[in-house]
Amino acid sequence: MQGAVQLNILQFSLIYLLLIIVLIIMKRSKINQSKFLLVASIRMTVQLVLAGLILTYIFKNPHPIFVILYLTAMTVFSIGRVLGKNKGVNQNFKIAVGLSLALSGLFVLAFFVLAVVGENIFNPQYTIPLAGMIMGNSMTGVTLGLKTFTDSIKTQRNKIDALLNLGVTPKKILIPYVNNALETALLPTMNSMIGMGIVSLPGMMTGQILSGTLPTTAIMYQIAIMIAICTAVCLTVFCSLHFGYKTLYNKRNQIIY
Amino acid sequence: MNFIVGNSGSGKSTLLRLFNQTLSQSSGNILFAGKDIEEMNTIDLRKNIMLISQSVFLFDTTIRENFKLFYEYRGLNILEDANMQEYLAMCNIFFPLDKDCTSMSGGERQRVYIAIFLSFLPKVLMLDEPTSALDKENSNIVISNITGYCQKKEITVIIVSHDSMITETFAENLITIERRAI
Repeated sequence: MQGAVQLNILQFSLIYLLLIIVLIIMKRSKINQSKFLLVASIRMTVQLVLAGLILTYIFKNPHPIFVILYLTAMTVFSIGRVLGKNKGVNQNFKIAVGLSLALSGLFVLAFFVLAVVGENIFNPQYTIPLAGMIMGNSMTGVTLGLKTFTDSIKTQRNKIDALLNLGVTPKKILIPYVNNALETALLPTMNSMIGMGIVSLPGMMTGQILSGTLPTTAIMYQIAIMIAICTAVCLTVFCSLHFGYKTLYNKRNQIIY
Repeated sequence: MNFIVGNSGSGKSTLLRLFNQTLSQSSGNILFAGKDIEEMNTIDLRKNIMLISQSVFLFDTTIRENFKLFYEYRGLNILEDANMQEYLAMCNIFFPLDKDCTSMSGGERQRVYIAIFLSFLPKVLMLDEPTSALDKENSNIVISNITGYCQKKEITVIIVSHDSMITETFAENLITIERRAI
């Protein structure tokens, strides 16, 4: 096995030519999102270049404070994204989501790095990329779960009111929506696990193989990260919704919409 | 038979929600059987003072399944078919129990909804615009049957209605609410 071929800027720039195909298809299909594609491509490039520069610096000068700062930035950004996509939730619900995302993600990350890999949690080479994958997927999962939950509550208000008037406890009324949202949030992760190795060679594994890691080692890391992601998504959504739904009613069993 | 009337927005529905404590009053006390309802368990209170709201909700399934699901939510055993039919008949519904509720008209759905709630036999039954989706004939039959049955079972009935014909025919106590005054 040899390491990945080092790309020079010219070679690397060729990949952007593929975006022209996307632009042509969008134009032909009258999808008016070419500006969005441009912005997304530029934002991705700038963000990743910045991340690359920062990571290069951190790897050369490893220090626990850099890892803590990077993890904090990641967590704050992901919490901000989730809450930005679900503006209708109350303050206590937001706190529940934020704490669940931060604590569940960090718990799974710590288990992965300390117990499975057996590395120091402040080793940036392991902790930062693994945290990125875990937090990123948890963020997507909880955004989906929270949106499913809040949409159901909004559209099912008649049902909720009818059951409340009948003398059913808010807990009994709301728990089915929590369970349904958890299932919805978990489906994309489980679907990708089903297709893995057959439909797709996932990003982390591809990256490791390209950089010269033995496929058997890359596979073990991939399996481990998929299980870690599944657990983190499940734990984050479960905690967010289980602590969150309780903020939707008061001691008088009145639902606060 | 107690009727509450008043203009739209005067607070009739809000008053019913205060009675079953799905809403709390900002001041004052509401007594039920001599007890302040704020000191009572709200779930027990709602089982005793049951509100049939004007927005009908039925599960997208048959009449029998609807009875079953509502009873399951209350943690009770489902009624016998004959009992279900008895309550449905009071509301002038004579469909087979396997009839799918999604294919019913608004008025039919409203009557099935009332029948299900009535079958729980609360101490106080509050109906918010129970005839809003019904024609004159059906309104008369349903209200007459419900009031007759509730009298027999000693269930207090409170009805909010805009329907002057129903109010004049059935009201024993008439409460008129105006904004800021009763």
